[in-house]
Amino acid sequence: MKKGDKIVGLIIIILITISLLFLGIYRFINKGDKLIAKIIQDQEVIKVIDLDKVEEPKEWTIENEEGHHNTIRVEKGRIRFIEADCPDLVCVNSGWLSKPGDIAVCIPNKILIRIEGKDDEVDQISY
Amino acid sequence: MVFLILLVLTFSGCSKEKTSEVISETIYALGTVIDIQIYDENVDKAKKAIQESIERITEIENKMSVNKDISEVILINENAGENPVQVSEDTFYVLKKAKEYSKLSNGAFDLTIEPIVKLWGIGTEDARVPEKEEITSLLNLVNYEDLKLDESTNKVQLNKKGQAIDLGGIAKGYAGDEIKRILLENDINTAFINLGGNVVTLGTKVDGSSWRIGIQNPLGDRGNYIAVLEVVDKTVVTSGNYERYFIEDGKRYHHIINPKTGYPAEEGIISSTIVTDKSIDADALSTSVYVLGLEKGMELIESLDNVDAVIITEDKNVYITEGLKETFNIVDDSFILAN
Repeated sequence: MKKGDKIVGLIIIILITISLLFLGIYRFINKGDKLIAKIIQDQEVIKVIDLDKVEEPKEWTIENEEGHHNTIRVEKGRIRFIEADCPDLVCVNSGWLSKPGDIAVCIPNKILIRIEGKDDEVDQISY
Repeated sequence: MVFLILLVLTFSGCSKEKTSEVISETIYALGTVIDIQIYDENVDKAKKAIQESIERITEIENKMSVNKDISEVILINENAGENPVQVSEDTFYVLKKAKEYSKLSNGAFDLTIEPIVKLWGIGTEDARVPEKEEITSLLNLVNYEDLKLDESTNKVQLNKKGQAIDLGGIAKGYAGDEIKRILLENDINTAFINLGGNVVTLGTKVDGSSWRIGIQNPLGDRGNYIAVLEVVDKTVVTSGNYERYFIEDGKRYHHIINPKTGYPAEEGIISSTIVTDKSIDADALSTSVYVLGLEKGMELIESLDNVDAVIITEDKNVYITEGLKETFNIVDDSFILAN
């Protein structure tokens, strides 16, 4: 191997190292470790919660214009509907939401909780 | 040199991903939540396609809903046993499809089930277990053959007074197909649509790989899936007993009514998933299979071209059709692939 080859080889190795480093940083930043829950009422985002930063469990009730209500409970890393006056209770039955992509919906009262981002394993769930 | 090529590939891979934006929209319609997610470099084009889709969904809902003040379907029901009703091409097409599947499934799916569905009221405040006599007296109104469809005039009539149709089991599927058509017409080739659990995919993912669709765990929380299915350009529709139900005296009554008995279908299936091209077909077939049970359900699916199914029975056994052998993977060990 000539001296020139060695230099080229070295440059390539350095370039690869740098690019891998950047790729690593990029992946790390974009990993979406944050668990952000959005509460959406009638297509409008009314509350955004960083679930990792929840210290104390908290419950509160959201009323809509027609006087119907849903009660939401949030704990560190998870959120759910715990009570509602809708007839089907699909929202409450959805249970805890704790992963990106998780969603619970109350159709009658038009309120929805969704955890931002996507599940690493699947793009969508058929239910 | 190989290293250099690798390097270039890595970077080009990155830049390709970056030019493709994600444009999404959530809509409440057809009694459910509809999510549209588009991957495209042209945001304006995607937004236009979403706008057209929303208008189309509203149109479909206005024609086919039974939960509005007025719709074509409501008119048909009000005129049952009296007058034929002229309907739009849309409604006629969906009615025709619904009748076809009623026939194909030998009545396991029946578009004239509405009187019984209304009696149970599952998913409403008035949900209750009806008296046996109430069910028997309404059962003779359930018969898809009593729906007369006049192809030349688009006129529709139910033969007997009191008969009623419900397109709830199929209109979501039709809406999914229509959104897909609109997106394709707008030159969008990478997208998925989720209509209350009915998944419709366009093409492959941005990186060329298959979409990974989770199959809901029928015994678990929403979002908890038991298996992953890889699809390209297909629709995946699941019917399960966990979607809408109520509990009375410790017994659970779900919303998929067997048109033959008038009671929630209890044939041993707790979830049935259909994978095919058209969501309208998948919607009707997932209900049919659920009501038919494992053996007859499988028989029906295997008699059709280009249709696959995943059936989960109450003993946590999972059955799949031949076409899914390569692309289906169970991820929850408590469920067992039985065939």
